[in-house]
Amino acid sequence: MAKIDFPEVKYHIQMKKGDVGRYVFLPGDPGRTDHIAKLFDNSKLIASNREYRTWTGTIDGEKVSVCSTGIGGPSTAIAVEELIAIGADTFIRVGTSGGMQPEQVPGELAITLAAIRDEGTSMHYMPPEFPAVADINVIEALRQAAIKLDVPYRVGITQSKDSFYGQHEPGRMPVADRLQQRWKAWKMGGAICSEMEAATLFILGNIYRVRTGGIMLVAANQESNDPNVGVVEELDDLLAVSIEAFKLLIEQDKKA
Amino acid sequence: MAVRKTKEGGQHHIHLHKGDVGRYVFLPGDPGRCEIIASYFDEPEFIVQNREYVTYTGKLLDQKVAVTSTGIGCPSTAIAVEELIAIGADTFIRIGTSGAIQPGTKAGDVAIVTGAIRDEGTSLHYMPVEFPAVADLDVIQAMKEGAIRAKIPYILGITQSKDSFYGEIDPERMPIAAQLQNRWKAWVDGGAVCSEMEAAVLFIISSINRKRAGGVMLIAGSDDMRS
Repeated sequence: MAKIDFPEVKYHIQMKKGDVGRYVFLPGDPGRTDHIAKLFDNSKLIASNREYRTWTGTIDGEKVSVCSTGIGGPSTAIAVEELIAIGADTFIRVGTSGGMQPEQVPGELAITLAAIRDEGTSMHYMPPEFPAVADINVIEALRQAAIKLDVPYRVGITQSKDSFYGQHEPGRMPVADRLQQRWKAWKMGGAICSEMEAATLFILGNIYRVRTGGIMLVAANQESNDPNVGVVEELDDLLAVSIEAFKLLIEQDKKA
Repeated sequence: MAVRKTKEGGQHHIHLHKGDVGRYVFLPGDPGRCEIIASYFDEPEFIVQNREYVTYTGKLLDQKVAVTSTGIGCPSTAIAVEELIAIGADTFIRIGTSGAIQPGTKAGDVAIVTGAIRDEGTSLHYMPVEFPAVADLDVIQAMKEGAIRAKIPYILGITQSKDSFYGEIDPERMPIAAQLQNRWKAWVDGGAVCSEMEAAVLFIISSINRKRAGGVMLIAGSDDMRS
């Protein structure tokens, strides 16, 4: 087996120690990092390689960063591994998702306490019986932030899946029956949203003893009772609550 | 198929009726511990015993509360929780003893459980394995506040809910020793804080029924005991 070289500048994210703060936002979309960085003070573009685009700035004087993960568990695991290696220890995944319960209204936020490991990447780390659970203090900070900013939210479980089209068009997949039965189980279990990265992030968080959490905009809801339910793509509330949550954590960490 | 009821119309195994318990129920494993727990209630009252299920009720802050033992393991726990939900309970705290998983955890430490490793068979009769067995955030926060108010140090984390007590204590003598040991190492690496036998199924059944559940465990045996 070839000897693996661990260079100072990490292979995929193209960054080294000192380039990011302890606190890192993880959106999926590289394009969204620019929007998030605008909410930092003194933000600066640090690196942009493949789907990994990183800005670093400050919030309340504390160094914070945003690094995109790309879509899915495989690219997310790489980003999180390399960010931990250069000193990050607190992660909030921010993203969009689909609702799963009939009463959910697009535009509300889903704070993800835990994730269904409906993906392959986390299985390379940990047997499937281990729960993908976020850090309770990060989740509580997100909840306090949503309450403070008076944004509708719910706390619950997300489905982290590997196949976007397997969710949206299961009927055309050879494994259609399985996909549909499992989706029904997740709904009956009370899952509140469906996205593609949280499970991997939470499992890595448990293994490396770093803090993780997730907050998703419920952009659409295929399970809605309302036949005329729309799509919401406005990210302002999502980003405002995420920033406020990091402020709360920074304040707590300074006191500790 | 209709659920079998006792002659008196009570639940088949716990022998309780609607109105017998309040919303809030403690769930120890050991029937012998119910009386001790009930001694902390106002107006404690023994209600019924059948098999490993012993129930007392009483009051806390003038609210009706109860304690029902589950027996050891997820099969008997699932029955207790199903039947308690059927008669109106909606908030559960599993309270029990556990073994340590992390080096440095000491006997006497208290673990507030956030999620459970589904290292058992019962919850798989309800939900595919990828679904996380996770506690209710409000219950977790309440237990944290309770520990802080009572000035009792606590650990927050994941429990291993296993089916085999002796598979954990003495894996070498099992034909699947290597598998047991490899998996135990994964749970250690994942940061699990304690090992017990009932939390996973409580959390899964609570998620399905939209009820609140949490767990608090005394670390009774330290990791040193095992090695």
